[in-house]
Formats: sequence, C-alpha cells, structure tokens
Amino acid sequence: MYFAQLAVNGLVQGLVISLAAMSITLVFGIVRFPNAATGDVMTVGAFSGLVVYPMTGSLLASGIFAVIVTAAVALISHLLVFRRLAGRSVVALLVASIGVGFVLRSIMGLVFGHQPMVFSMPLSRPYRIGGLAINPLDLQLALLAAVMLALAFAVLHLTPIGRQMRAVADNPSLARVSGIRSGRVLAALWVLAGAIAGAGGVMLGVKTVVNPEMGWDMLMPAFAAAIFGGIGSPAGALLAGLILGVVQEMSTPFVGFTYKIALSFAIMLVVLLRRPTGLLGRIEGVR
Amino acid sequence: MLSYLLAIAIITLIYLLLSFGLSLQYGSVGLINFGHVGFFAIGAYTSALLALSGVPLFASFCAAALAAGLTAWPIGLISLRLRDDYFAIVTLGFSETVRIIIVSEKWLTNGVQGVPGIPRLFSSLPVGFEAQLATAGLLLAVCTLAALAMWRIIKSPFGRIIQAIRDNEDALKALGKDPARFKIQVLMLSSALAGLAGAFYAHYITFIIPEQFVPLVTFYVWMAIIIGGVGRISGAIVGTVLLMVFLEGSRFLRDFIPGVTEVEMASLRIGVIGLLLILFTLYRPQGIMGDYTKR
Amino acid sequence: MTFEAVDICKAFDGFEVLRNVSISMPLDGLVGLIGPNGAGKSTLFSVISGFMPPSSGHVTFDGMSMDGMSASARARQGMVRTFQVPKEFSHLTVRENLMAAAPGQAGESLSGLFLRPGLIRQQEKALKARADEVIAFLRLDRVADSSAGLLSGGQKKLLELGRALMVEPRLILLDEPFAGVNPVLIAEIMERIRELNGRGIGFFIIEHDLEALTRLVSHLYVMDQGAILAEGEPAAVLAEKAVRDAYLGGEA
Repeated sequence: MYFAQLAVNGLVQGLVISLAAMSITLVFGIVRFPNAATGDVMTVGAFSGLVVYPMTGSLLASGIFAVIVTAAVALISHLLVFRRLAGRSVVALLVASIGVGFVLRSIMGLVFGHQPMVFSMPLSRPYRIGGLAINPLDLQLALLAAVMLALAFAVLHLTPIGRQMRAVADNPSLARVSGIRSGRVLAALWVLAGAIAGAGGVMLGVKTVVNPEMGWDMLMPAFAAAIFGGIGSPAGALLAGLILGVVQEMSTPFVGFTYKIALSFAIMLVVLLRRPTGLLGRIEGVR
Repeated sequence: MLSYLLAIAIITLIYLLLSFGLSLQYGSVGLINFGHVGFFAIGAYTSALLALSGVPLFASFCAAALAAGLTAWPIGLISLRLRDDYFAIVTLGFSETVRIIIVSEKWLTNGVQGVPGIPRLFSSLPVGFEAQLATAGLLLAVCTLAALAMWRIIKSPFGRIIQAIRDNEDALKALGKDPARFKIQVLMLSSALAGLAGAFYAHYITFIIPEQFVPLVTFYVWMAIIIGGVGRISGAIVGTVLLMVFLEGSRFLRDFIPGVTEVEMASLRIGVIGLLLILFTLYRPQGIMGDYTKR
Repeated sequence: MTFEAVDICKAFDGFEVLRNVSISMPLDGLVGLIGPNGAGKSTLFSVISGFMPPSSGHVTFDGMSMDGMSASARARQGMVRTFQVPKEFSHLTVRENLMAAAPGQAGESLSGLFLRPGLIRQQEKALKARADEVIAFLRLDRVADSSAGLLSGGQKKLLELGRALMVEPRLILLDEPFAGVNPVLIAEIMERIRELNGRGIGFFIIEHDLEALTRLVSHLYVMDQGAILAEGEPAAVLAEKAVRDAYLGGEA
C-alpha cells in the first residue's frame, strides 16, 4: 500500500515532467535543438500564477494567466532570438537557449527576489479511496494538467497548423520539400510549447516552492523524459514523464531523496544507448 | 591592493585552464560539453580529500588531473556515440550527477557542509603575499605549459586529424580512422586540465562546498570562449580576462551603487551573462579574436 | 583471395533499395558496376564499406567476415572507398590530406605526441616523402601545397584516390571516379588505375560513364532497380538485350 501511495504521488510529479518534456520535445522535433530555456519558462509560469492566485484564489485563473504569459515569453524568445538563428549550428541555438534561460531567471530574481514563495492553498482533508490518500489539491492539479494536455493534443491533431507541426516532426525533409516550415507554423509551435511549459510551471510551483531556480532543476528530468518518450513525440513525452515521475517517487525509499534526480539521468543514458528512438519516437539520437 | 590583484590573477588563471580545455574540445573536435564543471569538481574534491589524509600536494594534484581525465573516458565512450546536442545534455546531466553524489556521500565529502581546512600550496612560505605570489607563479607556469601543449597538438599529426574531423568525418572513417578515438583523447586531456584547475581552486580557496560546482560555472567558461573566439588560445585568454573583469567589476559596482543587495547583483550578473551569450551568438559568433577556421 | 558480398538486401521504411545483390571478385581484380541512376549502386557501396548496415546479407574479405564491422575497421582491413561527391579535407593542403590518411602514426595519440617527439619527426619525414611519391604519381605536383578545397572536381577525385593509396589498401572501391572530370583527366585516371592494378591492388568501380568503364574493367556487373541484372565480360554483358533495355534504353 505504501508503494501504491508513492505511485499516486509520483503521478502528479510525473505530470509536471510530462508537460516540461512535451514542451521540449515539440521544439526539439521541429526546430531541432534541445531548448535549455524550457525550465526557466516554467519558472516564469510559476511566478505569473503566484501573482494572480492571491487576487482570485482560483487555481484555474492562475493557470490561465500563467499560460498566456509563458506563451508570450516563448513567442518573444522565438521572434527575438531563435528565429534569427535558423540554419545555424545546433550549438548556436543551444547556447542561445541557455542565454534566454539566464535572462528569464535574472528577471525573475530581480522582480521577485530569491526568498522561496508558496501558493498558500487552503488545507483540505485528503480523500480516502481504498486506503489510498488522495489530496484534493493533487486532483485539481491533475485536472489542470489534463485540460492543458487535451488542449495541446487538440491543437496538434485537430487543427491544420497542428497537423503541419506533426508533419515536420515526423519527416523534416519531406516537410521542407512541401514548404511547410513557414513562419506561422513556427510561431504557433512556440506559443504552444510556451503554454505547455507554463502550465507545468504552475503545477510545480503549487507542489513545491517558487524560486528563480526551480525550473532549471526540472530540466534534467524533462530532457530525460523527452528522450525516453522519443524526440518529437508529444504522446511519448507524456507517457515517459508519468513513468519517470512514478519511478522517481517509488525509488526514493531505496536510493534516497537526492539520488532520485540522478535516476532520470541514468534512465536517459540507458535509453540513449539501448533504444535511441525512445518509446514512441522515430528520430534517431545516435549517429 | 596588490594582494587583491594577485587573488584575481589566481582565479583568472584557474578559469583559463578551464577555458583552454573547453575551447580545445569545441574548437577542435566540435564537442559541446555542458558538464565541464563536473571534472573541475572531481579534481577539487580528489586533491582536497587526498591532501587532508596526508598525501603530498604534488601527488594529490596529479591524482586530481588523473581522476578527472579517467572519468572522462567512460563518459566519452558513451557519449561519443551520440549526436552533438545529446552529448551536451548528457554532459550537463553528468555534472549535475557529480554534484548530487558530492552532496549525498557525506561520509566522503561531508555533503553540503563542504570540506574545510584544505592545505594551501606553499605552506612553508609565510601566509599572505609570498605564498600567493608563488601560487600565481606556479599557475602561470601550468597555464603556459597547457597553452604550449595545445599549440603543439594543433601543429602536429594529431592536429591534422582534428582538422580532418572538422572537414569531413566520413572521409576519415573511410580511411580507417575512428573519429571517436580522437575526440575521446581530447575530452580526456581537457578534463584532466579541468581536474588540475579544480585542485588549484580547492587549495587556494581552502574550503569547498558543492554549491561552488553548479552548471553556472560551465556557462561562465562557455561565455569566456564564445566572447574571446572559439578554438583559439588567444581567444580563451581574452575571453577569460574579460569574464573576470566582468565578475569582479560587478562586485565593485555593487559597492558604488547603494541599495543593491548581493542577491540582486547575482541576478543581474546571470542576466548579463545570458544577454552576452545571446548577443554574441546572434551578432558575433566568431568572438572577439576571430573564429578557428584555419590553422 | 576474394571479395564477396552475398545476398545483400537493404530497405528504407519498407522500400527495398537492394534486393539480394551478390558480388564476387578476386582481390586483385578490376571490376565495374554500372546501372541507371537510382539502381542502388551507391547504397550498395555504403553497405559494403560499412557506412550503412544491410537489412540482411554478408560481406567477406579474403575469407574474413566483415559483418558488423565499422567503416573504419573495414578500411583498416585493406578495403578503402572513395565518395561520389569528393570529401576532401578542405582546410588541409593536398599534401596534408595525403599525410593525414596514412595509418599507424605515433603522432596521432596524445601520449605519442608528447613522449616520442623524435619518432614523430622521423615518421613525418617518411610520410612526407611517401605523400610526395603519390603526388608525383598522380601528377598533382602543381597543387601539392594548395588547400584541397580549392581543387577542381577532377583533381579532388585524384586526391581521393591518392588518399586511399596512402592507406596501402588491397582493394579500392571507387565511387564514380570519372563523374564531372574532363576527358583528358579521365584518360589520366584510367591510366593510373591500370598501373595500380598491375601492382596488385584490386578495384571495384561504380561508374555512370559506360564507355570509359567498359574500356577499363575486365568484369562488369549491371544493376537495375536494386538487383543485379547481368554480369560477365563487358562486351558480352553490354550485348545482352535486358541490359540494353534497362540501361541504354533509359539513357537514349
């Protein structure tokens, strides 16, 4: 029962990783670089949510505001930085994304300071379902994530621009030939990636504490999940994030609290060496 | 004042060793190493712990270089099978893992409390100016040797292969040479340099904690080589000096602008670094001293 | 003393590019492979030379299985390939290109570099002499010290041949050595190939230029749509109706 409880806790943690990994995998699959600013975009989301929450007391309102802010931030980073680096080497994009992350972290630090802050949620009695304790807050968070995920998949699968995004991720050369890679698709991609990261940021902020470094610390598990799920595969990222979250939680009694972060690194290494296409991916990570 | 300048010189030279290694990796064989600080940390802890258990400093410094260089070997074997961008992620994960291990294995590293009382270099000299001067002198000699070694590598048959790797890896494979072998050697050498830098750092600061080995350090070094010009010895020097001017200058600046706290300054610093990384990749990717395109 | 590729198949995303292709030749032979564009010649080369794993099939070299060997390991066994689009080391000079290709250099390991400077100087001297021999043999004297990136297409083809020679291979796989080369230089390259073959080096040559190839080789394979269509003595092969239809018909 103890482990079942850990697994349940891990699922919520996993949803955060899933959202971060989806944001990464979308950009990686289409713009072809691992966006190291993803974590800091999440931080921006957490702070944005934190600003709105005391005013409204509504998690949903906080989430919506955060998602709008981070979508805008991601779009701006695309317009000002990443779009101008199109066609440059991966290191240029990678280093620039580190730069973007640093700038965001710096702004958060200057505006909000480094004192850890929390969403002051009203305490509520956990639901008891067959011996499992389920926190209503976790349910709300899971719901929030589900809404974001549903929206993301709806955009990807039901809209023309989403189909074009998936086409580019599936087969870049084919998409290039058909001239899909237009500015509109890329702009939409960044908005979507930013929004997803923002939702993840709010969740992370509610679950833990909000500080300028929080997002950066998510980067490793998020990269691991993106690779584990298969680069360019949002469904893979979702699945891998959940698995990683559960595995991390359930391993804590064995490896301790600190090593659970290293665990995602280990999983990533094994995946890269054994099955570089990940769970659902198609693009190879090995030469 | 003089002693302050010497202190800065020492830190600059330590960073220069880091810059040389990273510059050699990226500039020559195109490795995007985002985990350089991991090797720095391994060097620092190896030498510090050995010295504290009574090993002579010369031996502990060698051990630091060796430990970092040898750690690079499996990392290289694993990672060189991966694409460049995956290599960056894996090395970043490696350096974070190193830090987590340092935090967790308290029996060895004393965890977040850190390792205090690390013996200084030249402890026979009077504490203060003379010992500092001797340390700076030794570091200068090591950096000069490292620069000469880099220069020798670039001008040698090895350098010829390195250029060939940059020009066309497939052609090299078709001729029976394994590009990965050369990359691993470069990775091991520059990691050993980073380990050595870590030893100097530990024995100069005399107190190390895991917080000193965060990824930010790696990106300080990246900033230095990108600003200076990748793959060039002169670029690494210019970039590292500018990095130090910036880091130290921002500290001075705080003394002159009232009301700015150290935390705010740290935020500002990281923002400026970020901005510089963006601006240089956008507008001057070759750095100040020019790109390494021709030997 | 033979080179064999047996039942090589290769499919991309379910699309069969090579279907049960088999090649067999003596290691000192002079064998050609022709076929229209898209016949799978270059894919076959990539599979044989280890740049691409086959979906199935085997490669043996002088009785030794090369299956699963990396491209560089195959080259070290004495089978060196060139590329259709020359892959010169563009920032190195012609001489440096050749010297870089030579195997067994002490200066290629960091330990050797710092511990045995004397040996390296000696080796470099010998290497330079050897490179200059190859340069003279290929008549590249005038451009020996120019950056390889500045050479003409034909000179780059010669340089690739020269680099292959530096490895002292037993078999050279040439990928379209005459493509984009002027007729005078074609005659020159053919002459060099014959001369080298006379010294016992085998050649397996993919070529689009039918006329030049049939004059050069003693045995000819014809590929079409991923399979071997015909093989044998060049004149006889070219007389076959199927070959004329698939190849010459397509050309006309």
